[in-house]
Amino acid sequence: MGGGGGGGDGEPEFQIAPMIDVLLVLLIFFMSITSAQVLSIDKEIVLPVAKDAKKKEKNVMNEAALNVRWTNGKAAILFENNTYDNVEPLVEKLRGRHDSNPKYRVVIRGDKRLPAIEVQRVMSVVAQAGIDDISFSALNKE
Amino acid sequence: MSAHGRKKPREIEQEQVAVGFQIAPMIDVVFVIMLFFMVMVGSVKVERELKSQLPGLAPPSDSAPQEMPDEIIVGVEETGAVTLNEEEFDTGRQDKALPTFIDTLKRLKQEADNRNAKVIVTIQAEEQATYERVIDVLNALSVAKIANVTFTVGSDAGF
Repeated sequence: MGGGGGGGDGEPEFQIAPMIDVLLVLLIFFMSITSAQVLSIDKEIVLPVAKDAKKKEKNVMNEAALNVRWTNGKAAILFENNTYDNVEPLVEKLRGRHDSNPKYRVVIRGDKRLPAIEVQRVMSVVAQAGIDDISFSALNKE
Repeated sequence: MSAHGRKKPREIEQEQVAVGFQIAPMIDVVFVIMLFFMVMVGSVKVERELKSQLPGLAPPSDSAPQEMPDEIIVGVEETGAVTLNEEEFDTGRQDKALPTFIDTLKRLKQEADNRNAKVIVTIQAEEQATYERVIDVLNALSVAKIANVTFTVGSDAGF
């Protein structure tokens, strides 16, 4: 950044260069905060709110996201952009992932309007795949 | 008009080409962008998670409690009502925070900790109870620092 001129013995001048430096640092700080928190979830899913839940771990390699939509009174399970009406292929897929990576975990991103029975169905799918580490996704605010 | 007031065509062309770096508009733009991001920070939604462990593969705990565990049964009804050992708490669906429920859970946890006992919570949700309300209850349990949670729906064996 270019330097501004000093005043010598006279009155101190307003230094523009340090101000620009500070501004740019602040700008980068706020940009990084907002961009790091952008959600990458299914837009058709309205997540429930849990203000006191823990911040999500950033470990995409070890986790699968099961999106559970609730449209027209019917639940649909999505995994990697594929809808699974029959859960058997999904169980096999998840089991394969878990066999190759024992730390594999599942994040259930369910719509807040889902009935509890559908949530249990998804948990049953995860349990059948032999995965015990699960978490329920929620938002920090409405 | 004197001769100084007039510029030759060559001088005018030079002035138009050699435009210096304008610092004031740049600061204006940077300020606006920074204000935008500052405002955005407050409204950004962050994904949170409520962790859980399914039974079957969890390793047994080394430090077995001295006393029998305290089992609490939390009911979640279709209407959104939350019950703790069949006593209803925080009536009304609007109350997501469940303050009385959380206070009671904290007290029960504290009592169990004093006796070196474990608290086990079983969430018994009705089949058509909403997932949102179940998450409210899980959130309340996380506030009360209760980790051993079993989830059942209807009359099923559950997790």
